[in-house]
Amino acid sequence: MEGGVATNQRFPKIKIREIKDDYLKFELRETDASMANALRRVMIAEVPTIAIDLVEIEVNSSVLNDEFISHRLGLIPLTSDRAMGMRFSRDCDACDGDGQCEHCSVEFHLDVRCDQDQTLDVTSADLMSTDPSVLPVDVAAKSNSSAYDASENRGIIIVKLRRGQELRLRAIARKGIGKDHAKWSPAATVTFMYEPEIRINEEMMESLSIDEKRSWIESSPTKVFDIDPNTQQVVVTDPEAYTYDEEVIKKAEAMGKPGLVEIEAKEDSFIFTVESTGAIKASKLVVNAIEVLKQKLDAVRLSDDTVEADDQFGELGVHMRGG
Amino acid sequence: MISLAPQLCRMDTLLYLLVYPQRPLLTTRTIELVGYDKLGAGQNATVAVMSYSGYDIEDAIVMNKASLDRGFGRCIVMKKSSAMCQNYGNGIMDRIIRPPRTGRQAERMQILDDDGLASPGETIRPNDIYINKQSPSVKLSGGSSAGLPDSAYKPSIQTFKGSKGETAVVDRVALTSDDELNIRFKFIMRQVRRPEVGDKFSSRHGQKGVCGTIISQEDFPFSERGICPDLIMNPHGFPSRMTIGKMIELLGGKAGVSCGRFHYGSAFGEPSGHADKVEDISETLVKNGFSYSGKDIIYSGITGCPLQAYIFMGPIYYQKLKHMVLDKMHARARGPRVQLTRQPTEGRSRDGGLRLGEMERDCLIAYGASMLLFERLMLSSDPFEVQVCRVCGLLGYYNHKLKTRVCSTCKNGDNISTMKLPYACKLLFQELQSMNVVPRLKLAEA
Ligand SMILES: [Zn+2]
Ligand SMILES: [Zn+2]
Repeated sequence: MEGGVATNQRFPKIKIREIKDDYLKFELRETDASMANALRRVMIAEVPTIAIDLVEIEVNSSVLNDEFISHRLGLIPLTSDRAMGMRFSRDCDACDGDGQCEHCSVEFHLDVRCDQDQTLDVTSADLMSTDPSVLPVDVAAKSNSSAYDASENRGIIIVKLRRGQELRLRAIARKGIGKDHAKWSPAATVTFMYEPEIRINEEMMESLSIDEKRSWIESSPTKVFDIDPNTQQVVVTDPEAYTYDEEVIKKAEAMGKPGLVEIEAKEDSFIFTVESTGAIKASKLVVNAIEVLKQKLDAVRLSDDTVEADDQFGELGVHMRGG
Repeated sequence: MISLAPQLCRMDTLLYLLVYPQRPLLTTRTIELVGYDKLGAGQNATVAVMSYSGYDIEDAIVMNKASLDRGFGRCIVMKKSSAMCQNYGNGIMDRIIRPPRTGRQAERMQILDDDGLASPGETIRPNDIYINKQSPSVKLSGGSSAGLPDSAYKPSIQTFKGSKGETAVVDRVALTSDDELNIRFKFIMRQVRRPEVGDKFSSRHGQKGVCGTIISQEDFPFSERGICPDLIMNPHGFPSRMTIGKMIELLGGKAGVSCGRFHYGSAFGEPSGHADKVEDISETLVKNGFSYSGKDIIYSGITGCPLQAYIFMGPIYYQKLKHMVLDKMHARARGPRVQLTRQPTEGRSRDGGLRLGEMERDCLIAYGASMLLFERLMLSSDPFEVQVCRVCGLLGYYNHKLKTRVCSTCKNGDNISTMKLPYACKLLFQELQSMNVVPRLKLAEA
């Protein structure tokens, strides 16, 4: 505390509610909207993954043109557990970005020809990777888990071929971030909501008949309230189902009972829902996002030995150095 | 699928194709009767009716960059260029020859195959040659073309026109002949375009608008469920246009996606059940946890705070129109002039100037910006130096050999002044003279 600036440092807490490979629901508490939103933004736009970025087409006699197929290839999610440790091909000094380099790129080959009368689906399963750790996500899922229903998974269709048509190409996957192109975004959905605080005025509620209670409960488009079958009391069953639509408040006013329920958004707790494309696990996505956020803050924070920084930034400099 | 569509087998002059067409979520009975839902012309975009960033004024729309990355509004443009190998009779024909692989022209002929024609799949840049044709310089001399020496042919190559950096791909090449044994070559040049600022889009209610800006997904508003719009449309488009149908489409589409059924969007609920009333649609929405009004709570993507208003959000079928900036954008500093008036040419195709018209001129006069007016109307247009005789008031000339100025009417050079006029003005005087009208200039000291 060099400058005597009051610190606003807080210690956010995370509580995981539900965790699956591609789905994560967690609570973020004791922080504010800016922190929650920064995390959300980084997850969408700045957590790196690997995606096909350069395609060299040798033969393409399919019905789709080269650009069309290249675009479709780019959008195939690839397992990107390596991505954090990889280099961006633009600042890789081991190569000139031609894809032969293991530090910044992974090469894929695709060679399919249809010799039958049936239509042949060219899928992500036909993409041959030179790196076993970077695979199309559906292929990786098929080989990893036994619980996965293989018959249901037909792969991501790239193009369909008829007899005599052929597709042969070389593709180079590179590391990138969602800011540059959405194909590099590991997030299918990242969203948060403010945790609602619902207070029912019990006294006023008891003055309602059971039918009135029921019609009041039904005015909410989502199932937030219910009637306890034993006590006939209105209880909050699922506060997070509330979408801040204020329908129940309007209903209460229409029934002549303003103030029947009070609903407020808690300013400091958020419920996150994260769905991953499969490129990295949803849990990894959050961890990587925090890592990226820390790196960004490090770039902002001034180092202690820059004296002139104090003149330049004054109190802000002190604050940024964690004072 | 697309392979059954005939457009990829034809050689159309101009063809616009949408890359990922969709079936509209909300149709009418008529659309089904004419099969319009079988030939998609647009995409179901999730639209948020709200204001964003100010780049959405005057019907402009704000687009989500991630949606564009994923293929929304992407289109294929195919343009035909053709060339003819003419038969002059007597066995004399234009000829197509193998391109030189070294030398001055080699770089521009990179995409040519050994047969002298551009090969399909090659990327073609502006000024690239797509046919290495030569025409005989003496057309009616006897003998067969085999007998003509190489020196009798002069090159008549054809190049790909387009502004700098605008590349295309040679999609197909076709050869046909007519009854005079001329061979016609047709080249289809293909471009795949993603939407950019200035491209025009429209919903099916005639609500057209250009893309005002493209914003990245993290800055876009999002809902609690994680829904992020593809498009933001300004609500000011509604009151004056009174497109109630668009609002019903949004509601019906939203109900459609949440219950998994295609709805009919006719204006009134019909007893036949071929339409869904707004009340029924609202009920479906409530059943799926949405507000009956189709409005959602939306959070700002920039701050993370909830927006002050409920936002009307849902899918609307949007079509990409063929008016794209890439085909229209134009600017020029210096450039070609018309021979007759020596004024800059007109129109984008001729790399023309942008006209400072009468009304703009009036503004400058009213403002009193005389130097600017002089610069625009004279210096940047068609300045011309003339010799004017102070006695007869007619135009003389400057004799470069004798280095003297002469008035051809007075037969001397005693009273000649040099001044500047627009070339078009000098042209007018001469045209008047040709009609026996004599315009005389009376000069005063400036
Ligand atoms: Zn490298
Ligand atoms: Zn004279």
